Amino acid sequence: MIVCVAVVGHQNNPLYIQSFTEADDALKLHHIVHCSLDVVDERVNNPKKSGLTLNETFLGLLYPTENYKVYGYLTNTKVKFILVTTDLDVRDADVRNFFRRFHAAYVDAVSNPFHVPGKKITSRTFAERVSNIVKSFGLSSAG
Amino acid sequence: MGREVSESCIDGLLTEMVSSYCNRFYSNTPELAARRIEAIGYQVGHQLSERYTMERPRFTDHLEAIKFICKDFWSELFKKQIDNLKTNHRGTFVLQDNKFRWLSRMSGDPSVENGTQDPESKAAQAMSMYLYFPCGIIRGALSNLGIPCAVSADISSLPACSFVIRIKV
Amino acid sequence: MEEYPEELRTPPVALVSLVGCTDHHPLISSFLNAEQPPINTLALPDFSKITLLLSKPTKSDPANNGGILKRDWLLKHRTRVPAVVAALFSSGHVSGDPAQWLQVCTDIENIKNATRPKNIKLIVVVVQSSSNDEISEDRMIALRKRAEIDAKYLVIFNASDDLLLKQSLDRLRGTFAELANVYYKDEGRKIKTRVEKKSFNSHELNVRYCFKVAVYAEFRRDWVEALRFYEDAYQILREMVGTAKKLPLIQRLVQIKTVAEQLHFKIATLLLHGGKVVEAITWFRQHNVSYRRLVGPTDVAFLHWEWMSRQFLVFAELLETSSKTIHSNSNTTLGTTDLAVTEWEFLPAYYYQLAAHYLKEKRTTLELSITMSETADEIDSNAESVAPSIYVGQFARLLEQGDALIMQSLTDEEYTHYAIAEGKRFQDSFEIIALLKKAYETFSNLETQRMAHLCGFHMAKEYFGVGDLSNAKQLLDAVASLYRQEGWVTLLWEVLGYLRECARKSGRVKEFVEYSLELAALPVSSDSGIQSLRYKECGPAGPASLAQREIIHKEVFDLVSGETGLQSIEGNSDLQVNGENPLHLEIDLVSPLRLVLLASVAFHEPVIKPGASTSITVSLLSQLPLPVDIDKLEVQFNQSECNFVITNSESPSAAVSSGQQGWRIESAPSLALVTNKWLRLTYDVKPEQSGKLECIYVIAKMRPHFTICCGAESPASMEDLPLWKFEDRAETFPMKDPALAFSGQKAAQVEEPEPQVDLILGATGPALVGECFKIPVTVVSKDHAIFSGELKINLVDVKGGGLFSPREEEPFSMDSHHVELLGVSGPEGEDESPVGPDKIKKIQQSFGLVSVPVLKDGESWSCKLEIKWHRPKPVMLFVSLGYFPDSNESTSQRIHVHKSLQIEGKTAVVFSHQFMLPFRQDPLLLSRIKSVPGSDQLASLPLNETSVLVIGAKNSSEVPLLLQSMSIEVDDGVERQCTLQHSGMDLLSPAHLVPGEEFKKVFTVIPEVESTSLDLGSVSLRWRRNSEKEDLSTSDAKKDWVLTKHKLPNIKVESPPLVLSLECPPYAVLGDPIIYLIKIRNQTQLLQEVKFSLADAQSFVLSGSHSDTVFVLPKSEHTLSYKLVPLASGSQQLPRVTVTSARYSATFQPSIAASTVFVFPSKPHFTTTDMGDNKLESI
Repeated sequence: MIVCVAVVGHQNNPLYIQSFTEADDALKLHHIVHCSLDVVDERVNNPKKSGLTLNETFLGLLYPTENYKVYGYLTNTKVKFILVTTDLDVRDADVRNFFRRFHAAYVDAVSNPFHVPGKKITSRTFAERVSNIVKSFGLSSAG
Repeated sequence: MGREVSESCIDGLLTEMVSSYCNRFYSNTPELAARRIEAIGYQVGHQLSERYTMERPRFTDHLEAIKFICKDFWSELFKKQIDNLKTNHRGTFVLQDNKFRWLSRMSGDPSVENGTQDPESKAAQAMSMYLYFPCGIIRGALSNLGIPCAVSADISSLPACSFVIRIKV
Repeated sequence: MEEYPEELRTPPVALVSLVGCTDHHPLISSFLNAEQPPINTLALPDFSKITLLLSKPTKSDPANNGGILKRDWLLKHRTRVPAVVAALFSSGHVSGDPAQWLQVCTDIENIKNATRPKNIKLIVVVVQSSSNDEISEDRMIALRKRAEIDAKYLVIFNASDDLLLKQSLDRLRGTFAELANVYYKDEGRKIKTRVEKKSFNSHELNVRYCFKVAVYAEFRRDWVEALRFYEDAYQILREMVGTAKKLPLIQRLVQIKTVAEQLHFKIATLLLHGGKVVEAITWFRQHNVSYRRLVGPTDVAFLHWEWMSRQFLVFAELLETSSKTIHSNSNTTLGTTDLAVTEWEFLPAYYYQLAAHYLKEKRTTLELSITMSETADEIDSNAESVAPSIYVGQFARLLEQGDALIMQSLTDEEYTHYAIAEGKRFQDSFEIIALLKKAYETFSNLETQRMAHLCGFHMAKEYFGVGDLSNAKQLLDAVASLYRQEGWVTLLWEVLGYLRECARKSGRVKEFVEYSLELAALPVSSDSGIQSLRYKECGPAGPASLAQREIIHKEVFDLVSGETGLQSIEGNSDLQVNGENPLHLEIDLVSPLRLVLLASVAFHEPVIKPGASTSITVSLLSQLPLPVDIDKLEVQFNQSECNFVITNSESPSAAVSSGQQGWRIESAPSLALVTNKWLRLTYDVKPEQSGKLECIYVIAKMRPHFTICCGAESPASMEDLPLWKFEDRAETFPMKDPALAFSGQKAAQVEEPEPQVDLILGATGPALVGECFKIPVTVVSKDHAIFSGELKINLVDVKGGGLFSPREEEPFSMDSHHVELLGVSGPEGEDESPVGPDKIKKIQQSFGLVSVPVLKDGESWSCKLEIKWHRPKPVMLFVSLGYFPDSNESTSQRIHVHKSLQIEGKTAVVFSHQFMLPFRQDPLLLSRIKSVPGSDQLASLPLNETSVLVIGAKNSSEVPLLLQSMSIEVDDGVERQCTLQHSGMDLLSPAHLVPGEEFKKVFTVIPEVESTSLDLGSVSLRWRRNSEKEDLSTSDAKKDWVLTKHKLPNIKVESPPLVLSLECPPYAVLGDPIIYLIKIRNQTQLLQEVKFSLADAQSFVLSGSHSDTVFVLPKSEHTLSYKLVPLASGSQQLPRVTVTSARYSATFQPSIAASTVFVFPSKPHFTTTDMGDNKLESI
């Protein structure tokens, strides 16, 4: 189950962060997302060591912590997407697929002429789309 | 995407935007008008670059990003690529479009054309107002790709236009 | 890891036992222990002990008690059960009398009896005390038979000399190692067959057997087998979780986890020692995943978390110790695939941090369990009597029954009581801090700052919990600044909440107010897109919401108004803001409190005239959630006379207290700050002093004893509001006028008062290089008197290059200065003598300072600047006069007048020169004929011949010049190697030279030395301007001749081998024949073969040979004689001769000029007169 997704901007500032748990761990998830930026930095600065190929946008598993696994994605425009899941067995293809759909939703949201670049995303449509994507995570890797 | 936009609408919009800012909102302060038009271009470029870079791997250096602007980005906007790219290898790039679409229906002051070039002339000044918008687009796209820069345009002979990008270090 | 017993932590070491001959034991023990691999020894003094040791009764069937591993099994094999027993007999006893031999036999028999059932190997060692100690072969065989051992296990030990001792020890060690290996292999195989045949009736036994096989393998250093069996044991154990039923649930879990921990430890250690870091990490991940959900019942959940924490801690320590020896994890490939190991999983710090996390979890659950058990209010007094039982991970009650202790198994409830009682004994906070500190330090060093700060934050929370406020605050401040910088508002909210509580607890009002204000101004609202967080997890600040911000806002304003103290603080009632404890906050450009109050100040005009008033707009912005009323605003400038105060007309109290040092008081209808709305106030200021006028502070008095001093910011360069810049809010400009909002500045330039003085630079024409050019400077006072006047003179190169450094294209710069300020001559008429050196302070050759005397209104003063040009170059002359219009310098302001003038420096005369050879005489100058291209183009002159040098000096200026003399001078210290004379006399009176005119002078040169480069010296020309005005001026001006030198080029001197001279009459008459002689002189000591040919000329009829080859004798002359009859009149070309020297293979001809003659139509009539004076030859 996906428990948290986040969009993090150029200055490592949160642009959108949403958790999907009933428990009282939203703040903890914020911390987890924030710490994962360290790994993103390291992956991007030492691409050789982390074995990334071709400057792929998908950064893979950033780190496991407690019951969570944290995945990352870095767009060409230096915006980071972070995904936190509690699933034990996560298929790479599912995560990639998730990020692709999430990216599309993000692009649509920031292309809104009323959205000012660099500001938080407050669009309700975006939130709905994200929650749909989150719900369908892992259901079918084809879609 | 497959969506189409009427070219004449874009031309009309551009003309109206420039005339609104230059003649109505900031008629006595052209530098403020230029600033506003550039800012609009910046936002457009910013948002377009987000969309057009979606499915591609990240750029490793500045040149790659500039090439993207010259090829894919320009093709999306103007259905043609930049004709000539020059650089001094120290952060300055010159992008030349031999037939810049937004200038293709414009003509300069004939007195300017046969005489010596006078940058202060009214026609050249009015023309330059139309170039703040594409300059803003380039700057917005590049700065969204993590390359802060300053962009200026130069029209030596219509409808060719060259954009000079200076990357800030 | 420290809490593990030694035998678990370290790999097993084989154990052997020594019996008999006690004095050799220490030597053998230490030797065996030091070898690689080491062997431990169990030294027994006499033979009776070994039977005692080995005959200890062991329980025959352990299966009925339901444990998995026996607690002491490892220790037993470490210390009590040897693999090999070595019986040592002295050679004396062996070969001694029958009684001794009998004793030996009995001992062997006893040992055999003790070791045989346990399959322990036996060695018999015969100790020889000296090398010649012979033992009979029979006895040895008898001994071997007695002991029933192979010959090689009967070892002779000789300690009589070092070499023999070494050999004996080595032999002994080899035998020990071999036999120990056999023993452990046998034991292992025995149990392995049991495992393979599945001859056990429970999983427990299965696990135990696998464990034993693995340990025996470890004894043999067979790591692969050890690892395999440990892993088997681990897997079987994992399957037992659901199936084993022998113990009550809680204890069963505890036992399984404890055993799993041991097995995992063994596996991880083996993997890491084998350098398989990635495998170890993957294994640990698996271990973690398998067990982390086996929490068990809630009242003992803390045991689970404690166990989890220990797993992470131990693995961290293992990783840390192994990473000291292995640095090979760099070559492991990480990737995006799911199985990949991430960077952090290689870091011990990562595990430390998680160990701390689980320990915190343990503490929370323990606290919960304690409260639950206390409500049940049963403190079990018997808890003390609970102790670990003989099985790993099991506990039992010890009951004393007489002498014996009896283990009684526990119920789960009893066990729970025991565990809680044990748990209470430990203080976890310090443990947590220690773990976090390790992680914090590592992450900080790796510059993974966010993780480091998270550890820091958790540490700070622990410090806060135990009341160590100073440590907590220090860490929290660092964390807060990171979150501020990156805009993580919710995280910042939590941190600030703790900081606020720290300030409250330690009684620091100012900090408390600062943190409260920052909290209240944070961009937190219910619609901010970030979920509103629940109360529980938000720390002491409460939930991050708009409502909570308003509560904090009210609370802090109640405090600063003095209405309330902080009652909520335990034992501290002195937290109040009142007349005795006023509160003053400062906000600068980097302060986080910019959110609370931001002051943007802009002058409407960038340049102001002194005494004139200009408008200034002060704009204030606050992000506090509720409107704030300001009593009074003070606006402070760098010129304190401009300061003014704005009072709130609605607030009468402020008006009374605003009598501040005569500052101007303005009043505003309302000074209310509304959230995110600029309060714009525009007032006039009237600066009197020139210079920079800058607004520095805006001080807002909010409450009688509470002020905020806010640094003024220019709208043009204002930074975005931190944190709020990411919010989607309505942004407005601080100024209404958009131009002012983009470009307004908080500083303006106040101009100087208009100068009432004229500064006149009178210059005439361009300056000439070399002369001392005078520029009159006149200061005329018109309305101002001049006090402490000072003239600053500055010379600047117009083209921007330096005036002083020689340019690259002028490498022969003689002077370091191209243009030089020589001095200032005194004012005319007033004082004849030039201004003394005390009055002119020449700092550099391009810069000067002259003081101007006091001038009254209407007076004037002048001086002359003397500037000398060494190079033709345009120069900008800047002269500025600074003065005070008043004698009192302290009150009046210095006024400056600036003037500049561009002056061209021009060359006065241009020199030219020309060499001429003697008339109708042509020496063969080889270098001239065979000039090598690219070589120096020096003019070459014949040796000892008279050549003519014509020097011209052309007036290239625009003014007429007077020339006094021209001469050629040799540079000092060089002896002249030629005779130089000038043909005429010196000039008697100066020659006038109008612009463009050239003056020429003729010199004769007779070189006396053959040289490739002869220095002729340089031309010296004395000249000055010839102007009507200067004729009138004083006589000293006449002496002031300018000397210009021009270096003549070097010449080449060579002696010509052949000289060709033509002789013919000075003129001819049409039709009259003339004689034309061509003489070829050989100046060498050699015979010269010369070919000559004469070309026909149209104007002459000639007789004589046209061409021939002649030989010219050394030092002699050959003459060719022709008779010519002119056929045309006028200047006619004589027939030209071409001479070719065979020796030098050089051809030369006399010049055309030399071979012309004038032909008169008829005989002329001349009258000759004597030319008395030398006329100037002018062209």
